Amino acid sequence: MLSIVVCIKQVPDTQNAVFDPRSGSIDRTGTDNIMNPDDLHAIETALSIKDSYGAMITAVTMGPPQAADVLNEAYALGADSCVLVSDQRFAGSDSLVTSKILSRAIDLLGAFDIVITGCDAIDGNTAHVGYQLSEFLGIPLITQIHKLEIQSDHAVIERLYGHEYQKIKVLLPLLLAVNKHTNRVRFPRLADIKTCTDKNITIMTMNDIGGTEREYGAAGSPTVVFETRLFSHKRAREVFTGSLNDKVDLLIHKLKKHNILRY
Amino acid sequence: MVQKNIRKFAAESLDEWANVLDRESKPLPAEIVREMGRLNIWGIQAPVRFGGADLDTISYAIIIEEISRVSAAVGLGVTVHNSVCLAPLLKFGTKEQIERFAPDLASGKKIGGFTVTEPHAGSDMASIQTTAVPDGDHYILNGQKTFVTNGGIGDIFLTAASVDTGKKAGGIAIFIVEKSMKGFSVGKIEDMMGMRGNMVSELFFNSVRVPRENVLGPVDDGFRISMQTLDIGRIGIAAQALGIGIAAFGAAAAYAMERKQFDRPIGTFQAISFKLADMKTLLDASRLLIYRAADHKDRNLPFSTESAMCKLFASEAAMRVCMEALQIFGGYGYVKDLPVERFFRDAKITEIYEGTSEIMKIIIGNAILKEFSRL
Repeated sequence: MLSIVVCIKQVPDTQNAVFDPRSGSIDRTGTDNIMNPDDLHAIETALSIKDSYGAMITAVTMGPPQAADVLNEAYALGADSCVLVSDQRFAGSDSLVTSKILSRAIDLLGAFDIVITGCDAIDGNTAHVGYQLSEFLGIPLITQIHKLEIQSDHAVIERLYGHEYQKIKVLLPLLLAVNKHTNRVRFPRLADIKTCTDKNITIMTMNDIGGTEREYGAAGSPTVVFETRLFSHKRAREVFTGSLNDKVDLLIHKLKKHNILRY
Repeated sequence: MVQKNIRKFAAESLDEWANVLDRESKPLPAEIVREMGRLNIWGIQAPVRFGGADLDTISYAIIIEEISRVSAAVGLGVTVHNSVCLAPLLKFGTKEQIERFAPDLASGKKIGGFTVTEPHAGSDMASIQTTAVPDGDHYILNGQKTFVTNGGIGDIFLTAASVDTGKKAGGIAIFIVEKSMKGFSVGKIEDMMGMRGNMVSELFFNSVRVPRENVLGPVDDGFRISMQTLDIGRIGIAAQALGIGIAAFGAAAAYAMERKQFDRPIGTFQAISFKLADMKTLLDASRLLIYRAADHKDRNLPFSTESAMCKLFASEAAMRVCMEALQIFGGYGYVKDLPVERFFRDAKITEIYEGTSEIMKIIIGNAILKEFSRL
């Protein structure tokens, strides 16, 4: 049976978030925490592989104790086991250190066939972790997946790559980074929602994954955020004049300039 | 998590249908009914072994509210199926009846209804004319039912019939009638003011042979079973009314801040903000009354009066909230381009079915008289 690890993250619901205008950061007290949207697609990818081939799904998250909420949600959706990687000493870790911590936690879980992450988290929007994690784990990373088949020791994947539609064959284990274009996330059954909080969540701390305090948290992170700014999208109305052909040419020119039309 | 997921499901899967069902007076597509079955929506409080979710009544009320916010007609189908068909089957049914009917109902493979009302017997349930005459191992049912929720799409109907019309309430029995039984037929689908997405219909019983093992509870206990069933059903109808009210309030509050007249959002006029304040207060009070009744039910406390009170209050609150919402929308509230007029039409029936407001007051009044006569 396949062993799948899904990395998920609890994030503030930035779509409905309240921002502190002075600091430019999210007011966390007035904002709900949710599972990162791309990570829901990661779980769905794992569930659809499980439906087709059979698999044990382990959901892993790194975060404070309340991040267990997203693991409960993973249970409701159909994860078989859940791991919370949580330690005060991890606080302030950037994406590189987060990936290092996740890779060490995943190594502790034993042999695996597939690791799945969301492409991007809506809080930091770095989209680093999938890439960095594949480096730490030493396995290939595949993105932009449209179709996936497992054939004994390898996967056959169809993916969109720029102008191309590729069909590739890749050996397991591998890492998939997915997003909303990959699939449609199923809704959890009410019966599974009811029991999801009764299930066991394994806690891992620095003592479990090893390493030293200097490697983790803000101290171990090379990334420094030196400024956060709020920006707002402003709509502008523009009226084109001239002949229809001129107006169309101008419209195409403008759309290309703003990278809306690319080709 | 229950609320969040049902809200998301309603927004993503039901919202696009709400207006279509209303305009075209047709039921939900079968694939959505099936998906609702997978999500345990047809068996919210049924045991897990029958395909249900085994949730408590407060969760049940939340689910009905969330579905009804988007489509009250779908909310109606769900609440009637769950609370006045599946719930009494589980509460009063024999082990054999439960094993036989609960799995298909809880999974949504079969849709259920509960039918008492007849052309000449509404609030006065004891005067029903549908008869059940014993014939060996069977009863022969003859009669007509009207305003049957889920009538046009249902498979299993708990049907009240009289084994002795002279005994009035004491002669009523509840029969589990299946659509496939010979002599059973669906009459016209009602062309209603609201709830048009539910195939409310007439049902005809023309010498329908119902096996004795399909009698729910003791033969002469049908009136009591019906009353207790309606106590459960009223919590669902109150939650449905709340859902409609919440939808109307949300739309009106957003519109009040968006619509400008005399160079300012109309919501900033006290005339409108006072309306919104009243609406919000009515809805919050409804919710608390509903949760109290649900909590009493879950703790096995008497909840008949509490259920009547929440139904009375929430349905009248919903009607008032919808009326004020329509007023806030002005002319735009009166046209079918916006859903407020649908909310308004849908809300009215909540004051009528599962016992009218007047019947609710009789129940509450009787409870008060009983309590104070003991003093």
